[in-house]
Amino acid sequence: MENLILEGTKYTPDIKLDADAGMVSMVGKSYPENTFEFYQPIMDWMEEYFAKNAKDKTTVNMEIIYFNSSSSKLFFDFFDVLDEAKAKHSIEINWIYDKENESALEAGEDFIEDFENLTINMVEKI
Amino acid sequence: MKINDLEAILEDEGIVFLTYGGLLTQSLISGMTDALEHETQVNDMSMKVSHNLLTIFIELSQNMMNYSKNSSLQESGLNSKGLIVVGYDENSNSYYILSRNILDEKDKEKITPKIEQVLALNKDELKTLYRELRKSGKSKHEKGAGLGFVEVAKRCDQIEYSFSKINDTSYHYIFKAIIKNL
Repeated sequence: MENLILEGTKYTPDIKLDADAGMVSMVGKSYPENTFEFYQPIMDWMEEYFAKNAKDKTTVNMEIIYFNSSSSKLFFDFFDVLDEAKAKHSIEINWIYDKENESALEAGEDFIEDFENLTINMVEKI
Repeated sequence: MKINDLEAILEDEGIVFLTYGGLLTQSLISGMTDALEHETQVNDMSMKVSHNLLTIFIELSQNMMNYSKNSSLQESGLNSKGLIVVGYDENSNSYYILSRNILDEKDKEKITPKIEQVLALNKDELKTLYRELRKSGKSKHEKGAGLGFVEVAKRCDQIEYSFSKINDTSYHYIFKAIIKNL
C-alpha cells in the first residue's frame, strides 16, 4: 500500500499516512474550501489501510491549530472510522495541543467524550 | 475619489480591514485570515480570543463564499455585493466581525429559525447542540447542517443580526459577532 503524503498549506494540514510505520499524522490548520472533497482520499486511505494493511499497532497524531466547522465534522467522521477499526486493531491517538490553545484542548476533550472506546491521549506541547 | 472620507469612516469604526464586492475566494479568505492572525499577534491577544476571532472570520467568510457559489442571485449580479468587516471597538475593548450579503425571501425564512435557535441557548447548551449536530448525518457531506452557526455562537459573546428589504424579493442580511478581548 502506498503512503499518502500531502504537504500543508495555509489552510490544510501537513498530512502523512505511513502504512509501513503504522503512523498517521495531521499537523496544521484546517479550513479547506471543500472540506469533504479535500479529505476524501485520506478517508479512503484509512479504510483501505484497516481493511488490508494495518500494522499491529497504529499511532495517530493530530495537531490541529484551528479549524472550521466542516473540518470539525470531518474529524468526527475520521474518529468514527478509527472507532469502527478499534474492534480488530490496536490504535492509539495523540491529540497534541499548545497549552495556551484552549479551543484545541476543548476540541480534544470533546472527542474523548464522544469516543469513549478510543484511546485518545491529550498531549501538551512543550 | 474621496479617499479621505473613506479613511475617516474606517478610523471612526475601528476597522481593521474589510472586503467588499467582487468574488470572495478561498485564497482571499486565507490571506485575510493571515492578516488577522498577524493583527492578533501584534496586539498580544490571548490565543483563545485570537482563535475565536479567526474561526468566526473563517466561518462567516466561507459561508458567504459558498452561498454566492450556489445562489440563484448569481445571474442578477446582486451576489457580488458581499461585505465583510473586521473591526475593533476601543470603548468596549471588543472585536467584531460583520458580514452582509443579499438573500432572497426563501433563504431568509430558512436562516432565521437557525439563528434564533442558537440565540436562545447558553454556552453549555450550545456545546451540547454542537456535538449532537456533528454526530448526525455521517458522510452526508452537508454544509455542516447548521454547525457553522453554532460554532460562531459558541465562540463569541454577542450576536446581532438583521434583514433590510432591498426590493420585493431580496434582503440585505447583516450578521455581526462580537468578541470581548479579555
